[in-house]
Amino acid sequence: MNFVESDERLALRKAVSDLGRRYGHDYYITKAREGAHTTELWQEAGKLGYLGVNVPEEYGGGGGGIGDLAAVCEELSAAGCPLLMMVVSPAICATIIARFGTDAQKREWLPRFADGSVVMAFGITEPDAGSNSHKIVTTGRRDGGDWVLSGQKVFISGVDGADAVLIVGRTEDARTGRLKPALYIVPTDAKGFTWQKIDMDMISPDRQYTLFLDDVRLPADALVGSEDAALAQLFAGLNPERIMAASFATGIGRLAMNKATEYAKTRTVWGTPIGAHQGLAHPLADAHINIELARLMTQKAAALYDAGNDMAAGEAANMAKYAAGEAAAKAADQALQTHGGNGMASEYGLGALVLAARVGRIAPVSREMILNFVAQHSLGLPKSY
Amino acid sequence: MPNIVVLVKQVPDTYSERKLASADHTLDRASADAVLDEINERAVEEALQIKEAQGGEVTVLTVGPERATDAIRKALSMGADKAVHVSDESLHGADIIQTAKVLAKAIGTVEGYDLIIAGNESTDGVGGAIPAMLAELLGLPQLTHARKVEIDGTSVKVERETDAGRTFLEAALPAVISVGEKINDPRYPSFKGIMAAKKKPVTTLTIADLGIDASEVGLANAASQVLESAPKPPRAAGQQITDEGDGGSKIAEYLVSQKLI
Repeated sequence: MNFVESDERLALRKAVSDLGRRYGHDYYITKAREGAHTTELWQEAGKLGYLGVNVPEEYGGGGGGIGDLAAVCEELSAAGCPLLMMVVSPAICATIIARFGTDAQKREWLPRFADGSVVMAFGITEPDAGSNSHKIVTTGRRDGGDWVLSGQKVFISGVDGADAVLIVGRTEDARTGRLKPALYIVPTDAKGFTWQKIDMDMISPDRQYTLFLDDVRLPADALVGSEDAALAQLFAGLNPERIMAASFATGIGRLAMNKATEYAKTRTVWGTPIGAHQGLAHPLADAHINIELARLMTQKAAALYDAGNDMAAGEAANMAKYAAGEAAAKAADQALQTHGGNGMASEYGLGALVLAARVGRIAPVSREMILNFVAQHSLGLPKSY
Repeated sequence: MPNIVVLVKQVPDTYSERKLASADHTLDRASADAVLDEINERAVEEALQIKEAQGGEVTVLTVGPERATDAIRKALSMGADKAVHVSDESLHGADIIQTAKVLAKAIGTVEGYDLIIAGNESTDGVGGAIPAMLAELLGLPQLTHARKVEIDGTSVKVERETDAGRTFLEAALPAVISVGEKINDPRYPSFKGIMAAKKKPVTTLTIADLGIDASEVGLANAASQVLESAPKPPRAAGQQITDEGDGGSKIAEYLVSQKLI
C-alpha cells in the first residue's frame, strides 16, 4: 500500500500549479464576467500535454491515467482556474472513445484530445429523465446508412465552445424492438442541432445550455463503438467523471482555504490576527481535514480505476464525489464567513466560489443519489424507488 | 552541434520564509520549500532553445545535497538530456571560491563542452561571482549578464545588459555565459518531459571522484566566516493617504519626491 503519489505525479502537480497560478482566479472570474472563455489557458495546458495525460501514447497522449488527469484538474482549480470542460472532454469523452471507439474514431479524435485542440461536450441529462439513462428519450433511428437523431438535452456544459457533443441517446434493438442506450458524436455545426443558454447565477466561463436535436442527420460512423455495448461504454465514462468532479471540488476547496487562511493571518482586529481566535481557526482546521480526506478517497478511486478495477472504482468514485462536494461547500462557506463583509464583496471572489463549490453537491449526480447508491449497494438496504 | 553545460542550483523558494541556521549561519534548508532557482530555469531554457535550433546536447550540473536531485529533475523535465550531481557532505558551508573549484572540476567530466550557461546570480546567496570565477579557473572567456545570446560553430555573441547600460560582446568557444532575467521566459515542463526525466542519466559524484580533498572544502576551510546574522527588519508601514478630493495629486507628490516621475 502506498499513500504517497509518485515523483512524476508530484512534479506534474507542481508544473500545472505554476501554470495555473500565472493565470489565477482573477483571470478566471474576469473571463466569466465578460462572457468570454478561458481559451488561452486551455490551449497552453493542451500544448504542454496536461489535458491529454490520460490519452494513450500511440495517439500522442501522455499514456497516464485518470489519476494524472484528476491531478491536473485539481491543481488548476486550486490555482483559481477550475476548468469544467476537463471533467467532460478528456475525462468522459476521450475515455469512452479510447476504450470503445472504432479504430477510425480513435484516429480521428484521440490525437486532438491529446493536445487539447478539440473540445467535446457531453450530453446525457434530459428534462424528464435527469441522468437516468433508462428514461432517456433522445432517439437515433437508422435511415439507410445514416442515423437520424431527435430529442432534447438540458444542463449541458460548454457547448458554445465545443467542436462536438457526445450525445447519450437510445436506439431500437433490432431483435427485441426495445430501446437501448447508444452514444453519438454530434458535431456542433450539424444541421438541425441548436442550443440555448440557460441563465445561471454561477460565475463560470463554462456556461450551461439546453440542446435541441431536430432530425439531425449523422453518418453511420457517428455511433461510438458497438451498438450493443453502449451501457458498458457509458459507465466507463462515468467513473472518470465522478473522479474528476471530486478533484474539481477539492481544488475549489483548497482555493477557498488559501483565501481564508491568507485573510485570517493578515486581517488584524484589536491587535490580533483573526486567525488566532479558535472560533475561526477550528472551523478552518475542520474544513482542511475534510478536504484532505476527500482528496485521499479521490486518489483511491483513481488508483482503482487505473488498475482496471471498475467495480471497486465505482463505489470509491461515488464516495469521493460525495465527500469532495461536501468538503468544498463547507470550506467555501467558512472561507466566506472568515472574510466577514469582505466575503460578500466581488473583489474577493468568494461569493462566486461558494456557488462553484456548491455545484459539487449537485453535479454530475446529486448527493442524494449517491446516498441511495451507497445505501443499496454498499449496505444492502432496500430500494425506495 | 553545441555541447552545452548548464549550471543549476536548488534554492529556498522565494515565496517561503528563508532563514540561516542558528548554529553555523549556513542556509537552513529544512525551513523552506526547495526549488530550482528561477534564473537557472532561464539558463536551461536558453540552452534548450540553442539545442532546438542547432542540435547538440544539454547537460545540467549542480553542486548540492541529496535533495538537489529535485532541481535536476525539473531541468531534465524541461528537456535537458543528462545531469551531473556533485553531492558530498564535506561541502556543507562551502564558500563561493570552493564551489567554483568544484564546478570547474565537475565540468571537466563533461567531454567536449562548447558552452557553459549559468544564471547571473542565485536568489539565496546573491554572490553573482561564480560565472566569473569559473571562467578564470577554466581559462575561458566570460560573457556575463546576457539578455541575448547567439552562437555559431566557433564563436558566441552576447548582448550584455547591466544598470550601466548595454554592451555587445563576442568571444571564441568554449566560453562561459551568465544570463539575466530578460533573456527569455522559461517553459513549463510538459507531461511527456516529466515522464521522460526519470529515465535520463544522472551521474552522482563525490569530491573524491573529482580529486578534491575534504580538507580543501567546507565551512571550516572557507576563506571567510560569518560571525553573526540578523533577519532583515520588517518593512516600515507605508504612508496612507486619505482621499479628500486631492488623493491623485498627493500620490503624484509622493512619486515626485521619490523621483519616480
